[in-house]
Amino acid sequence: MSNSVKIVMIEDDHGHAKLIEKNIRRANISNDILHFDNGEDGLNYLLSDDARHDSSILILLDLNLPDMSGVDILTKVKGDEVLRRAPVVILTTTDDRTEIQHCYDLGCNVYITKPVDYDAFASAIRQLGLFLSVIQAPTISAE
Amino acid sequence: MLLLGAAFVLLLVTNIATFYMLRQTAAYTAIENHGHRTQIAGWQLVSLLTDAETGQRGFMLTANPAYLQVYNNALTQIPSVVETMDELIADDPELSPRLERVRSLYEARRTLMIDTVNMTRQGRIGEAVGAVRSGHGKALMDAMRLEVAEISNAIDRRTEAATSAATSSRQYTTAFSVFAGLLIVVLGIIGAGLVRRQIGDLLKAQRELDRANSGLEAEVRERTSELVRANEEIQRFAYIVSHDLRAPLVNVMGYTSELERISGKVDALIAKLEVEHPDTVSEDTALAIREDAPEAIGFIRASTSKMDGLIKAILQLSRDGRRELTPNELDMNQLVKGLVDAVAHPLSAGDGRVEVGDLPSIVNDRMAIEQIFGNLIDNAIKYRKPEQSLLLAIKGKDLSGQEVEFEVTDNGRGIAPKDHERVFELFRRSGRQDQPGEGLGLAFVRNTVRRLGGSITVESDVGEGTTFRIRLPRTFAPRAL
Repeated sequence: MSNSVKIVMIEDDHGHAKLIEKNIRRANISNDILHFDNGEDGLNYLLSDDARHDSSILILLDLNLPDMSGVDILTKVKGDEVLRRAPVVILTTTDDRTEIQHCYDLGCNVYITKPVDYDAFASAIRQLGLFLSVIQAPTISAE
Repeated sequence: MLLLGAAFVLLLVTNIATFYMLRQTAAYTAIENHGHRTQIAGWQLVSLLTDAETGQRGFMLTANPAYLQVYNNALTQIPSVVETMDELIADDPELSPRLERVRSLYEARRTLMIDTVNMTRQGRIGEAVGAVRSGHGKALMDAMRLEVAEISNAIDRRTEAATSAATSSRQYTTAFSVFAGLLIVVLGIIGAGLVRRQIGDLLKAQRELDRANSGLEAEVRERTSELVRANEEIQRFAYIVSHDLRAPLVNVMGYTSELERISGKVDALIAKLEVEHPDTVSEDTALAIREDAPEAIGFIRASTSKMDGLIKAILQLSRDGRRELTPNELDMNQLVKGLVDAVAHPLSAGDGRVEVGDLPSIVNDRMAIEQIFGNLIDNAIKYRKPEQSLLLAIKGKDLSGQEVEFEVTDNGRGIAPKDHERVFELFRRSGRQDQPGEGLGLAFVRNTVRRLGGSITVESDVGEGTTFRIRLPRTFAPRAL
C-alpha cells in the first residue's frame, strides 16, 4: 500500500485506537492515521472535499459508536458514488453472525473481530497491518 | 315453588268443592224424588177412595152389580198404595203421625163403605141411605183430604228448601270455582313472569361469564406477550451488557501486555545498571521490578481472562436463547449414539462404558437436544469417581399425555442434596472445584429444556452417582408470538 493512502480510523475507545495504531506501526505501516472518536466527525471528514478529491483512503470502522452505528456509516460510504471504492475494514468486538453477514451485504471489504485476549488482538492487528502493506487501494475522485 | 304449591292447593280445593256440590245436588234430587212419590201415593189413595165411594153410591142407587165392580177394583188397589206410603214415610218423624191418621181414616171409611154395601145387598136401602146422609163418610173423606194435603204441603216445603239449598250451594261452588280459576290464572301469569325474569337473569349471567372469559383469555394473551417481550429484553440486555463489557476488557488486557513489555525493558535496564553502576540499584527496587511487577501483572491477567470467560458465557447463553428453534423428527437412539461416539476417546482413556436403552423418538430442535445430552454426558465424564470405572446409562420411556422422559444416570461423585438447585444456576458449581469450567453447563441445559417446553430434575447424593430426568413434549411446537 503506497504511502499516499490515508487510514481513517473511526473508533470511540481511545485505548483501542492507541492499541490498534501501535500494532499497525509494529507491522511497519507508516501511513498517516486519522483518528475520529465519534461517527459524526468521521463522516464529516469522509464527505469533505479533502477526502473525496484525488486521494486514496482506507477506512477502519468500529461498529459500536456512541452517536451512531458503524453500520450507518458503512451504508453511507458504500452508497456514495465516490467513497464506495474506498476499502472498509470493520474492526469491532461483535462476532454476531447476522451482524457480520449484514456488513458484508452492505459492502464491507474485511470484517475482523477484536479478540479480547491481547496476544490474539495484537497479532490480529499486526496481520491486518501486513495485509494493508500488500493490498492496493484505489484512488478515488469526484469526477 | 311456593306459587306452584298455592296453585295446586287451589285446584284441589276447587275439585273437592265441585265434588261436594255434586253430592249435595244428588242428595237434593233424592229428597225431591222421594217427596214426589209420597205426594202421588197420597193423592192416589184419595182418588181410589173417591172411586170406591162412586161405585158404592152407584150400587146403592141402581143396585147394578157393574158399580160394585168399580167399587171392588178400587178397594183391592188401595192396600198396595197405603203400603207404598208406609214404605216412604213410616219412619219420618214429622209425617208418620199424619200417615197414621190417614190410615185410620181410611180404615174407618172403608168399614163404613163395606157396611153400606152390605146393607144395600140385603135390601136395607133406607138404612144405607141414612148412613150416607148422616155425613159421617163425607167428614171422614174431608179429614183424609186435609191430611193428604198437609203431607203434600210439608213435602213441598221440604223440596223447596232442598232446591234452594242446592241452588245456593251450586252458586257458591260456581263462584268459588270462578274465583279459584281466576286466581290460578293470576298465579300462572306471576309464575310465568318470575320464570321469564329468572331465565333473563340466567342469560345475563351467562353473557357476563362469557365476557369475563373472553376478557381473561385476552389478558392471558397480553400477559404472555408481555412476558415474551420481557424475556427478549433480558436477552438483549444480556447481550448488550456483555458486549459492552468486552470493550474495556480489551483495553485492560491490552495495556497489561504493554506494561509487561515495558516491565521487560525496565528489567533489562536494571540488569544493565547492576553491572555498570551496582550502587545505583537498591535490592528493593530490583525485587519490585523482577518479582512484584510480574506478579501483579499475572493477577490482572488471570482476573481479566476469567472475566472474559464469564462474559463469553453470558454472550453464549443469550445467543442460544435467541436462536430460532426448528422442530424435526429425531431418532433419539441415533442421536445419542452419535454423542456417545464423540466421547468414545475420553471414555476409553478412563475405562468407562455407556449403556443406551431403547429411546423414544421425539420431534424437536436437533441442536438443542444435542447440546442438552452432550452437556450431561460431558458432566458425567468430568465428575466421575477417579477410583472406579464410569458407568453411564441413558434410558427413555413414553409417558402418558404426549410426554417422554429420559434418564441419564452415572455412578460418579454425586451432588449433595443442598446443591440440587444450585447446580442449575448460572456460574454456580458444586463439590470440589478440581475441574475447569464456568458453571455454565447445567444452567444452559435447564434453560434449553425449559425453552423446549420441558423440565429437568436431579436425583443424587454425595458418592452415590447422579440421575438427571428430563421430561419433554413428544412434539415440540414453538409458540408463534
